[in-house]
Amino acid sequence: MVLKLRVLIPSMLLLWTFGTAQDLEPTRSTADLSNSTFLERTEFKVAYSGNIFWNNGLNFGAEYLLVENKKVKNRKRGQRTNTHEFLLNGTLGVTTNFSNQTDTGIFTNYGMMWRRTNKKNKQFSIAFNPLGYYRSFLPETYEVIGDNVEKVFLPGRGYYAPSVTVGIGKQRKGKKITGRYFNINLMLRTPYNAGTLPAIHLQYGYRFNFKKK
Amino acid sequence: MHKKIYKFSKQILVILVLTTAFSCTKEENTSNLSETIFVRHKDADMPAYIHGNATDNIFLIMLHGGPGGIGLSYRGPAFDVIENEFAVVYFDQRGSGMAQGSYSEEGITIDIMAEDVLALVQVLKKKYGDDARFFLMGHSWGGTLGPAALLKDQSDFLGWINVDGSHNTKGLYAAYISNFRRVAAEQIELENEVSYWNMVFEIINSVGTQYSKQDMYALNSEAFEAEYTLEQTDIINANVESDYNTILNYNLLTLFWNMLNTQSILDDDLFETIDFTNRLSEITIPSTVMWGSHDMVVPINFAEEAFDNLGSSDKSLLFFQKSGHSPMFSEPDLFATKVLEFMNEHKE
Repeated sequence: MVLKLRVLIPSMLLLWTFGTAQDLEPTRSTADLSNSTFLERTEFKVAYSGNIFWNNGLNFGAEYLLVENKKVKNRKRGQRTNTHEFLLNGTLGVTTNFSNQTDTGIFTNYGMMWRRTNKKNKQFSIAFNPLGYYRSFLPETYEVIGDNVEKVFLPGRGYYAPSVTVGIGKQRKGKKITGRYFNINLMLRTPYNAGTLPAIHLQYGYRFNFKKK
Repeated sequence: MHKKIYKFSKQILVILVLTTAFSCTKEENTSNLSETIFVRHKDADMPAYIHGNATDNIFLIMLHGGPGGIGLSYRGPAFDVIENEFAVVYFDQRGSGMAQGSYSEEGITIDIMAEDVLALVQVLKKKYGDDARFFLMGHSWGGTLGPAALLKDQSDFLGWINVDGSHNTKGLYAAYISNFRRVAAEQIELENEVSYWNMVFEIINSVGTQYSKQDMYALNSEAFEAEYTLEQTDIINANVESDYNTILNYNLLTLFWNMLNTQSILDDDLFETIDFTNRLSEITIPSTVMWGSHDMVVPINFAEEAFDNLGSSDKSLLFFQKSGHSPMFSEPDLFATKVLEFMNEHKE
């Protein structure tokens, strides 16, 4: 009995594998974007950004489509088209802790995003933003140098702040609001005290465009 | 429209005058301060949360434990009572809580942190006037930082309150071992949690006689566990609830990152070199040493040593019989009473 199962299970697995395999090689195509206008290639986005308990804020941004590849897989149950996009990504955000005045800042990030959209318009994206800047804003601050104490104008500090974002979303074709997304964002602030501070933000937002209909 | 504006203009004017007059009276503002300011000093921005009654322009500066603790963690029943009479300045030290800045590892030492405390005093004098007067309180690590600051300049302080704080962190390792032996033997004799205290004996027999960071952390961690066991056997009181809003003031990720980073930089220096015992005689302002009788984290022998060596002609030593390392949480009423007695006695 055990021997029969040992033979049967791999056989079933093989059958299932070949049974659902592609019949043909997938076809790949790259979209010609040369005739697209800037607005046609650009989507804007606005999102809640924060960690709910402490920092809460808004994040605004834009994504400019650089390359779009379509990959069509032919399966027994029909065609499946996945779209892979490379986009230039830029965001501007503001964050604060409403319980205190010690954790308010604005930040901006710039980098590249890769996004995959499947036939059900579900999306998965990874963004790497090597260019980033965070500026904190502090309440009333006094600087002490020797015996001299002076009130600081526009107190706060600037930090180099690269970030990585991983997210899921859903595309809404033909709508003004072209999609919604949920991201987890890790942003570093450095040099922060004597090291590099990691900060995690959740982002939930919507994308929209100004394409002519 | 113009008629309506004219009709109500007098009422609007009266309301504006009244609200302006009442909102700006110094009496109202200073009797119930709730402010956050930052001190910028040597590449760090450190928040000072000022709460309470400053009508006498007297401030109690609270130095938190850690290193890497948080100032506002002390707000609660004991400090609520103190705030009714005096303003309390809860200070997030360099590399702690919501303090931020940009400096190298050499930029965070006990010497610079002591200067930060004096910088805070300068800022408070700038904001509240040169006639502002100060008491300094340090708990745990704050009791190490306090003497470091006072040894630089004690002229602005009316008094020093040491709460379970070690002036000699270099001696903590050896003190842990002897204190664990003493308490474990006492508790086994009393037949309290015998299996736990036997395990404590095994731990202290397994660690080396000379300081090592790993063993130090093990003993420090066990000290908190031992206090929990003493609490279970009703030898020390359970901690009262502190202000839950505190947790909303600190981003936990920032808080823990700061704590770990700061401790990793300071701990070697702290446990291998810092000993102010021979310099305590230079502290001559009125001082009180307050200690939990069952403190396992900074053992009780440090209380007696601090009291004996302080140079103050006006000094006192007080033990809280039902407390461990934090009497402000385990005996808050008595703690507030004793702090206020000391401050009222020395405020003139």
